Amino acid sequence: MDLATLKEYLPFLVPLVIAQLALAITALVHVLRHPRYRFGNKVMWVLVVLFIQFIGPALYFAFGRGEE
Amino acid sequence: MKGYLAFLKKELFEYAKTYKLFIMLIIFAVFGITNPLIAKLMPEIVKSFITDGVVITLPEPSAYDAWTQFFKNATQMGLIVMVILFSGVLSSELSKGTLINLLTKGLFRTAVILSKYTCMVLVWTISIVLCFGLTYGYTVYLFPQGETSNLLFSVFCLWLFGLFLLAALLFSATLTGNSYGGLLITGAVVVVCMIMNIIPNVHRYNPISLATDNMGLVLNSIEASSLYSTIMISCLLSLIFVSLSIVIFRKKQL
Repeated sequence: MDLATLKEYLPFLVPLVIAQLALAITALVHVLRHPRYRFGNKVMWVLVVLFIQFIGPALYFAFGRGEE
Repeated sequence: MKGYLAFLKKELFEYAKTYKLFIMLIIFAVFGITNPLIAKLMPEIVKSFITDGVVITLPEPSAYDAWTQFFKNATQMGLIVMVILFSGVLSSELSKGTLINLLTKGLFRTAVILSKYTCMVLVWTISIVLCFGLTYGYTVYLFPQGETSNLLFSVFCLWLFGLFLLAALLFSATLTGNSYGGLLITGAVVVVCMIMNIIPNVHRYNPISLATDNMGLVLNSIEASSLYSTIMISCLLSLIFVSLSIVIFRKKQL
């Protein structure tokens, strides 16, 4: 794919990248600031949140986060 | 009524504070954006896989492909994400025992269940509307000459199936009292619906038709009127599930 096609799809890519970053960063901050999880450890959740796109943060907030 | 509204407000606030609302909205927004994009890029993606000597002619992508993506993503990933996020609808409060204080202060148990269901329905409605709006906007932008029929009715069917699924989830969560049991029973309900679909005569009355016939509706190969009985059955089943949840919850030892 060349640069011209990339430019054509910019209106799609920018919101997608922003959404993914927003999710990953929110989840990452939460993982780092609340170091108690229902299961797993910090390294595992950081990897899940950062590298499984979209589903990773959802999994963390649904199952991983411990009680406050 | 006052208790119901107060509890509804508390539920909405809880979804916002536990980031569940945020996750739902972002994931459905992402689906909304990617649907038309994947439809548009599909020929390019396939081309990059083709090696020399293989010739595949692909039709020019159209608005139909974008809607195919929409109904595929929303019925599979979308519903799965929704059910997983809502799976703790009752279990967290039961295990922490935070409901007991409210109930002894005079909050009706019926109000608890009803406001929980209302809140889930609200979040699901907002998410599906957001996803539909984004897909619609980008589809019109990418494929200006696309003609579709029954589009709104088709999305309405999908929304109704979501309502049915949420009612099943609420029922199973009340029954088992923990989130995994709730997920398991909801999954079982869907599987039973799928197996029932093999019998040809059942298809007309099976709630799952609401989530499988969408593209047929958009392509006009399925009559809208053929789904009316399914809609009736789904509404009825949802009502039964919610009423059963109320009955069970009223008898439940907290």
